[in-house]
Amino acid sequence: MTDEKETKGAPEKKPKLNLNRVEMPKQSEHERRHNFDEVALGYTWEMAKEEASRCIQCKKRPCQQGCPVNIDIPDFIAALQRENMEEAAKVLKRKTSLPGVCGRVCPQELQCENACTLNKKGAPVAIGRLERFIADWERTQGSATMPEMAPSTGKKVAVVGSGPSGLTVASDLAIFGHQVVLFEALHVAGGVLMYGIPEFRLPKEIVQREVQYVQSLGVDLRLNTVIGINYSLDELLRTDYDAVYLAPGAGLPKFLGVPGENLNMVYSANEFLTRTNLMKAYLYPEYATPIKMGKKVAVIGGGNVAMDAARCAVRLGAQEVYVIYRRTRAEMPARLEEVENAEEEGIQFHFLCNPTAFLSDGRNNVAAMELIRMKLTEPDESGRRRPVPIPGSEYILDVDTVVVSLGTSPNPLIPSTTPDLNVTRWGTVVIDERGRTSKARVWAGGDIVSGGATVISAMGEGRIAAASMHEYLSNGQKKIIPPSPQKDDDKTE
Amino acid sequence: MYPIVDHEVLAPRVHRLRVKAPVVAEKAKPGQFVILIIDQKGERVPFTISDWDTDAGTVDFVFIEVGKTTRQLATLQPGDTLLSFIGPLGRPAEVDHYGHVVSVLSGYGIAAMVPILKALKEKGNTLTTIVQAPDAERLFGQKPLEELSDTVIWALGTKGDGMMESTTVAMRKLLNQHPKRRIDRVIAMCSLCLMRVLSEMTRPYAIKTMVHLTPVMVDGTGMCGACRLSVGRTNRFACVHGPEFDGHEVDGWEVLMARRCTYADESILQQGFQCRGCSQW
Repeated sequence: MTDEKETKGAPEKKPKLNLNRVEMPKQSEHERRHNFDEVALGYTWEMAKEEASRCIQCKKRPCQQGCPVNIDIPDFIAALQRENMEEAAKVLKRKTSLPGVCGRVCPQELQCENACTLNKKGAPVAIGRLERFIADWERTQGSATMPEMAPSTGKKVAVVGSGPSGLTVASDLAIFGHQVVLFEALHVAGGVLMYGIPEFRLPKEIVQREVQYVQSLGVDLRLNTVIGINYSLDELLRTDYDAVYLAPGAGLPKFLGVPGENLNMVYSANEFLTRTNLMKAYLYPEYATPIKMGKKVAVIGGGNVAMDAARCAVRLGAQEVYVIYRRTRAEMPARLEEVENAEEEGIQFHFLCNPTAFLSDGRNNVAAMELIRMKLTEPDESGRRRPVPIPGSEYILDVDTVVVSLGTSPNPLIPSTTPDLNVTRWGTVVIDERGRTSKARVWAGGDIVSGGATVISAMGEGRIAAASMHEYLSNGQKKIIPPSPQKDDDKTE
Repeated sequence: MYPIVDHEVLAPRVHRLRVKAPVVAEKAKPGQFVILIIDQKGERVPFTISDWDTDAGTVDFVFIEVGKTTRQLATLQPGDTLLSFIGPLGRPAEVDHYGHVVSVLSGYGIAAMVPILKALKEKGNTLTTIVQAPDAERLFGQKPLEELSDTVIWALGTKGDGMMESTTVAMRKLLNQHPKRRIDRVIAMCSLCLMRVLSEMTRPYAIKTMVHLTPVMVDGTGMCGACRLSVGRTNRFACVHGPEFDGHEVDGWEVLMARRCTYADESILQQGFQCRGCSQW
């Protein structure tokens, strides 16, 4: 909003660069500690216009290359500059069916905005905020712009899992003219967008609107259906489907493996977030799912999921919330924006320490944890500074609730019922650069492949696989040569 | 939506629902469970399948009114629908020819064990079945048990007391005859404390004892980790690795019982749910 321009020694070219981005209004710290409403409030029309005007429409379009799903960013910003909202929405929808989601939860600072030309001189264009603005505008308009649909190919595809990766593949293949059935194990579609990311970061209504949009492309959504149980992968391939995309998402949560970890009130982040977000425990008893919360909550881990859990704990009424991370702030995998939000909400960060035991109150409820202080070693060959415990530095921290947020291991349901699907020794599905698995006619992406990554990377993997699937389906071949099952697979047990 | 096609009251506060869910019925096996949600604001609750009909596409389960959701379920009638009905979840019970199998049943287990007993019978096992119930009035489901079992022992508690004892006394008698009248396997689907006691009783005899554990679950498909327990010193998840486990390998029963009761004070409304002497109360 300020109009300061840094004029350095060299004379500026004609269109003067505005190096300061327009800030997005947020709910105040005090207010938002007590509600699950969205924290970031989004741009007004004036703000969006001003921010869009900062884009210099450079020729190289580095932002687009920085986008895992290759959104035509300069074009939608140009449309905004011309105040043509419909056009802007149309450009966005060419490459993503989930703009309201991406605009909110993508780590733009590592992707498009990191690549932005302005980033070399000052603040990059707030691409994510503009994407969100357009998506929100379209949603409030009522009718969504529809893409051009290819005529029906007569081919049928099963997409397993309706998270970001599955939704991307389903919409891409539907637009290519294939018949798509999207299977979801839970009672609502959206995967991690519904059970994982909290309402205050990604309102569930927005997720459901974008799911409805994908359905409006002709995708047949089947809820409450678990692949690996109700139908095996082989049954899908044997019966109706020409190809399958596997994106079943996260599986069993990881734990530290220290004494007392199964005590009452020690949650996995998945359970804590599923109760809170998917089942709406914050609205208990109107919603039937309860969540028990103490006064002093420790969240173990330094990722985005840990930030989400910590911030949910604040809103559920915890008096003190600690984030326990064994490295330092600099190594935290969480987005800086989320760390700052968490700090603003009063969450206390304990760096360079790691739990060694959870202690009982005598009735099998957690009452405290024992921590050991850590130090970082000199960087090893990989350049990573490993945290190592400092002997004898153990200390006790009183807590009555613990949320363990150390990531997940892949869900074993599909691999365990599909013997010829190659998996790594960590249980993740092996794919080639085009998303193909070791099994003919089967592609995979998302957390089942990565073991746990971002929404947008799951979408990016989906985009690549969808192109490869479309190529296969268009060639009319029934047989496809899978990548060599031995390749990349020396670690398989 | 999943329509309810039949509702039978089996005993006071004990109900059997039959739900139209062809996809679930198609794959159901003995010892597996479903997770259902009644409506948009409902919770996800697991129930062990007690019967199914692949042709009719129906699945039965038996439940006891103990909390908010089961009370609401008890009001549903044919024609009403459930929002969600996912299954069959969990691994099926292990069934083979063992010889003489003693099973111990109480509560919903009286019905949910029937498919396992059927499968065991088909494998040519000799079946002794101990059925625990508070009293004759609250006993149900006798007929299939009598038909399937070679011997049925009715372990009815006397009023307000002796419930567990009636079962352990019966079990003790059987164990005293072992190995003359050999017991090859024990399967228990009853209260957590009783399963723990039974596991300890059979341990000195090294009789394989399978217990059907029902920790609190949320998603039920291996994602949330609520149902974890320590078995053989490793963390296992009842929804994908269970619900049947070797009772001699289960460690940390105390913790398991505590976790089972985490939400008891909030959603378990029934008076007298409390187990005698339980550390959690």
